[in-house]
Amino acid sequence: MNCEEVTKALPLYYYGELEGEVEEGVEDHLQSCASCQTEQERQRALAAALDRHALAPGADLLAGCRHELARAIYREDTPAVRRTASDPWGLFREAFHSLWHPGIRLAQPAGAVALLALGFFAARFTGGSFSGASFSGLAPDSIISSIRSVQPDNTGRVQISLDETRRRVVSGRLDDENIRRLLLAAAREQDNPGVRVESVGLLKDQCNSAETRSMLLEAVLHDPNPGVRLKALEGLKSFATDPEVRRTLAQVLLKDQNPGVRIQVIDLLITHQDAATIGVLQTLVGKEDNGYVRMRCQNALRDMNASLGTF
Amino acid sequence: MLPDAAGAVSARAAAKPDEAAVIRAVQRGDQDAFEQLVRAYDHSVLRLAMNLLRSPEDARDVYQEAFLRVYRNIHTFRFDCSFHTWLYRIVTNICLDHLRKRKVRREEAAVVDTADGPVDRMDSFEEEAALADPERRLWNSQVSIRIQTALGELTPRERMVFELRHYQGMRLRAIGDVLGTSEEAAKNCLFRATQKMRAVLGDLI
Ligand SMILES: [Zn+2]
Repeated sequence: MNCEEVTKALPLYYYGELEGEVEEGVEDHLQSCASCQTEQERQRALAAALDRHALAPGADLLAGCRHELARAIYREDTPAVRRTASDPWGLFREAFHSLWHPGIRLAQPAGAVALLALGFFAARFTGGSFSGASFSGLAPDSIISSIRSVQPDNTGRVQISLDETRRRVVSGRLDDENIRRLLLAAAREQDNPGVRVESVGLLKDQCNSAETRSMLLEAVLHDPNPGVRLKALEGLKSFATDPEVRRTLAQVLLKDQNPGVRIQVIDLLITHQDAATIGVLQTLVGKEDNGYVRMRCQNALRDMNASLGTF
Repeated sequence: MLPDAAGAVSARAAAKPDEAAVIRAVQRGDQDAFEQLVRAYDHSVLRLAMNLLRSPEDARDVYQEAFLRVYRNIHTFRFDCSFHTWLYRIVTNICLDHLRKRKVRREEAAVVDTADGPVDRMDSFEEEAALADPERRLWNSQVSIRIQTALGELTPRERMVFELRHYQGMRLRAIGDVLGTSEEAAKNCLFRATQKMRAVLGDLI
């Protein structure tokens, strides 16, 4: 090889991208040619200058990117119809996002562990056998949450636009903030009373926060499932003297359709005597149609040395 | 080759047997597996975008768009090339779009004019040991501006090949695979890129 050929080959030689034979030729020539050695040095200097010019993205930038990506993906996975502010989903989404945030990992296999497979994306349509259709892109275990549009074309095919959701499992200790937020959201999960009972049951022992307390009050007033309401009442035991809690309990006592719930409310209210309680119990005696509840109510009034009615 | 580029390559090779299982899990809709996959590659993707575009904002955009495309299209991945190749096809396409748009706008985003003359605004992101030495610092900023100019002389494709070979430590054959061209064409790109840079930087090195 002559000097011109070698000079041309030097960049690829530097990157180790020459074929074996050519590479040997370059090496042979370099051993005996000072001017080509100088060229080789310049190639090395160029590479070194370029190395110094390299940028390394900082940890902050990378963390920011990961966080944004998680948010974007969550937006994709969440049907738009559920994307309203101040809904219980907000809680779930926040908790979900924080799972991705660097530094916060949930899995800590020690102590009491809450393991939840949250059925947040209730299936209105579930994937059964779709034989004969082309479902490119539909993951095998995905759940179709809603159908957006159905468009037939003139070849006899139909295009269906649908929202597809995925399930994931997270685990962590009960005292983990993220788990707690998930449980708070789960306690409001509309389509699954089993999830609500379980979540309220787990949270009721941890209800030292205002958030938990208001969730319990909400559940006891509005949850359609008596099992959930009973669990929530258990959690409210430690707040039995709180005026707001007592007002809510009085409301529940007069409107709740379930005798078991009414009995438990009576038991809670009578742990602390006040004029308002007596008035509520007297009102109840006048309208209560369940004999046992009425009897409990009368006993309670007697214990408080109050008259049995407002008549 | 940079030491971290070499590290990335060997880590990738070591992770191979598990990777197929992770990808299948992602295809089944496993979010944890997706996160794992992202974390295995995102640093080098971000580094590529950052060095090519020399703007953290643009690098962010590339990162976001690339991994969203991965998320949306992973079901089409059929294991007929490596995941790295598949991912880098997506990433390089997005980066090339950015570079081409920039050429059209004739905008040199990285070099801004200040009262003291043009300054590479990415300097603030670089921690150089020489920073304390004013003379050396001036020299470095001169070289930095010249390198920026030199890189600006390259076509988006030459720039990409050079970036993948020099900074990401990829072999030319793999680069050809990613860019949908032959090893020979990638070789020519790399050669032209180094020639152009030496023409601009000749007196400095
Ligand atoms: Zn020679």
